[in-house]
Amino acid sequence: MADQKLGNPAVVGLAGFGLTTMVLQFHNVGWMGLGPVVWLGLIFGGLAQMIAGLQEMKTGNNFGYCAFTGYGCFWIALALLLLGNHYNIYTSSKTDVGWFLVAWTLFTVILWVGAMRVSSALAITFTLLLIGFILLDLAHFGYPDLTVVAGYELMVTAAMAWYIMAHIIYADLFGRDVLPVGKPWLS
Amino acid sequence: MNFAKTIGLMGLVVACGAARAAGPSEAEVANAEEVVSKVRAAARYLHDKGTSAFADFHHKDSKWVWKDSYVFVYDCRKDRMIAHPLRPDLVGKPIMQITDNSGKFIFKELCKVGSEARGGWVEYSWPKPGAGRLSRKVSYAMAADISFSSGVQVSAGIYDEGITLAELNKVLEKMSDPAKYPAL
Repeated sequence: MADQKLGNPAVVGLAGFGLTTMVLQFHNVGWMGLGPVVWLGLIFGGLAQMIAGLQEMKTGNNFGYCAFTGYGCFWIALALLLLGNHYNIYTSSKTDVGWFLVAWTLFTVILWVGAMRVSSALAITFTLLLIGFILLDLAHFGYPDLTVVAGYELMVTAAMAWYIMAHIIYADLFGRDVLPVGKPWLS
Repeated sequence: MNFAKTIGLMGLVVACGAARAAGPSEAEVANAEEVVSKVRAAARYLHDKGTSAFADFHHKDSKWVWKDSYVFVYDCRKDRMIAHPLRPDLVGKPIMQITDNSGKFIFKELCKVGSEARGGWVEYSWPKPGAGRLSRKVSYAMAADISFSSGVQVSAGIYDEGITLAELNKVLEKMSDPAKYPAL
């Protein structure tokens, strides 16, 4: 049993993070409504990513533990916030949502620095994520047109998260590093 | 007072009453300043309450219906009517193809001016509430700032055959300081 192979929780965390982020951007650029964002946000971006994050604890990976659990909770909170606004329960104004996003931006700054110690691909992902959060912050504080810019920018972020997911899965399946993630930016 | 005088006085009273009933008094006609204030208030309300506030614009007896005017809410990006207190049949339907009798695409124009910083006016023909015929309507449109819903606009109009867009823009200019003209 000691030699039994274990999966890497990051593949699920990155999958949920990437897919839900992607779908929200499909909405932000005007291609679709918010319905799928709410349900995916609760289940894949939320529940699945949060469970993956909690599983990271046993691997000893504090970065993954905090990031996946944190962003999993972000998605659950955002989905509940949108539901609350729809059903008139603890409604949040656009300014309230703006401050909610500012807090997550600050959280992302900390993880962005940490990501630079992991790999180039993760550093790029978090750089794009941070820029996306800042664009969404500005969209909530006087520059609503930036929502669309954030939408396209965060699609690239989601694709980068999937790239890292594919890197882990393909390395396992092919037995070699098919999609390299590059060296850390900070040594 | 003789009988003839009494009849004459009664006739005058009836005539005055009929005149009041035939044409709406000034108190029943919404003016441009009220329309701008109501639209700003509606945009502010949607900013504060989010999408749950859409439901409040469906009702004829809400504060968004007053005198001979009303606020309607629509989504320019999704091409949908969100709320229209007097035309519930339009709710959920595409709006961009709606034209007036001169062929003007009403909502294309509203969406265009509504996306400008301080909003704007569009004139078109539309049935006046209670009148049962088309009237010249000039509506003021502006964007409603809702989180993750960037195409929503609110609008309301006045029914006036004579007022010019230049005059209405002057009203907008005069009301450019929201502190002096708070939302209703």
